[in-house]
Amino acid sequence: MAVSFRAEQASNQRKTWLLLALMFIALVGIIWAVASLFGLQIYWIVPLAVGISLIGVWTSYWKSDSLVLAMTQAKVIDHENAPQLFNIVEEVCVAAGLPMPKVAIVEDPAPNAFATGRDPEHAVIAFTTGILKVMDREQLQGVAAHEMAHVGNRDTLVMAVAATTAGLLAIVADMGARVAIFGGGRNSNNSNPIAAIIALVILILAPLAALLLKASISRKRESLADATAVQFTRNPTGLRRALETLAADGTVVQQRSTSVAHVWIESPLDGKSKSMFDTHPPISERIALLRQMEGAGPAPAAE
Amino acid sequence: MWILIGLIVVVVLLVLWGIALYNRLVKANVAVDEGFAQIEVQLKRRSDLIPNLVNTVKGYAAHESSTFEAVTQARAVGEHATTVPEVAAADGMLTQALRGLLAVAEAYPDLKASQNFLALQEELSATENKIAFSRQYYNDSVRTLNTLIVSIPTKFFVGMASVKAREFYEVPDAADRNAPTVAF
Repeated sequence: MAVSFRAEQASNQRKTWLLLALMFIALVGIIWAVASLFGLQIYWIVPLAVGISLIGVWTSYWKSDSLVLAMTQAKVIDHENAPQLFNIVEEVCVAAGLPMPKVAIVEDPAPNAFATGRDPEHAVIAFTTGILKVMDREQLQGVAAHEMAHVGNRDTLVMAVAATTAGLLAIVADMGARVAIFGGGRNSNNSNPIAAIIALVILILAPLAALLLKASISRKRESLADATAVQFTRNPTGLRRALETLAADGTVVQQRSTSVAHVWIESPLDGKSKSMFDTHPPISERIALLRQMEGAGPAPAAE
Repeated sequence: MWILIGLIVVVVLLVLWGIALYNRLVKANVAVDEGFAQIEVQLKRRSDLIPNLVNTVKGYAAHESSTFEAVTQARAVGEHATTVPEVAAADGMLTQALRGLLAVAEAYPDLKASQNFLALQEELSATENKIAFSRQYYNDSVRTLNTLIVSIPTKFFVGMASVKAREFYEVPDAADRNAPTVAF
């Protein structure tokens, strides 16, 4: 069956909003749970949690370009250093109607690539030396289009919102649990044991749910970036062939830091078996979807 | 009293809505202009690559004069083109001529192996891709604008925003729609 990239884009955008809405519902749920367990005097937890979580996530969001560059030791290059790579990124920018990002290279034999930056004006896209070695021009164009799709779709922002909410949930739950254990509960004025049990269950489950929702949003953004890449190049074949090369390659980038894992085109952390905590959809599913897009849509515009 | 406030709110909302629709049309119109400017930038870049490319090929294949002439002529036509169909026609002509030039180069192994030629070839294929992508971007913008112009409710603001339906950028020969395949 043929799949159009536009339908894929719309469906992933819709699912992102749905998942973000679910996260906010979980957030409201946990605040209610804390309030009903400990009464109103415990409300100071909420602004405190908001503060902590906002400061952590938003500084890393605002500085994402320089932070990720430093963490991955990527070197920013220009046309002289790698003319072909630079040309490919320029092409994709023309197709996307986006400003030219900084282009960087990471010394790493494992083929991979990532994009970051708080907005298209501060975007960085980076490629490992490994990916430049194993991929041809068409494949690199597909990869560059996937990364520029993350930039165009503002995925650093979307993931910052998801991470803030998940962080907030975890902090509120953690503080709530501490108060419950260390006796804050004796001030409780609640007289309904069933409500107390429900509140306790929410306290335990909500942070887990938030993590699952965050991973799920990340997977939707990856699928969206694949579809948007096809919108840019009108050539699903390049990205499909690139993903096949990545799937066949067993090596994994050396940086396994969880804080940057989600930005890579192929996750360095996701295991071989499918899990609800994966930040990326299984690569075989992404390949299958691109194959279906090859069956639809107009002929490739380039290459 | 409350009816009056309600009326004012409704009027204000309607005006804001109208402004949003008007701005959408203006934005779509600007996107088309930007798209066309981008095509011209890329065509200019290709045009600038040509003297260097022709000289490099000449160094190995001096007697293929008719091919060089076709390229030079097509390039000259492009420099005087201004309207969308004119630019598109000149673009198609030059693409055709360049295809001929690259076909000539195929017959000279020394030329094909030279670093200078390989570098030029990469620049040329990158520029061809950019031309193809800027056409695609332009045509997408035209499609968006032309759809807005005939859709309700945006069609009611077409006069006020003084925008009109725009022409698609169509390369004359169907085979030219795709950039020439440059093998590596």
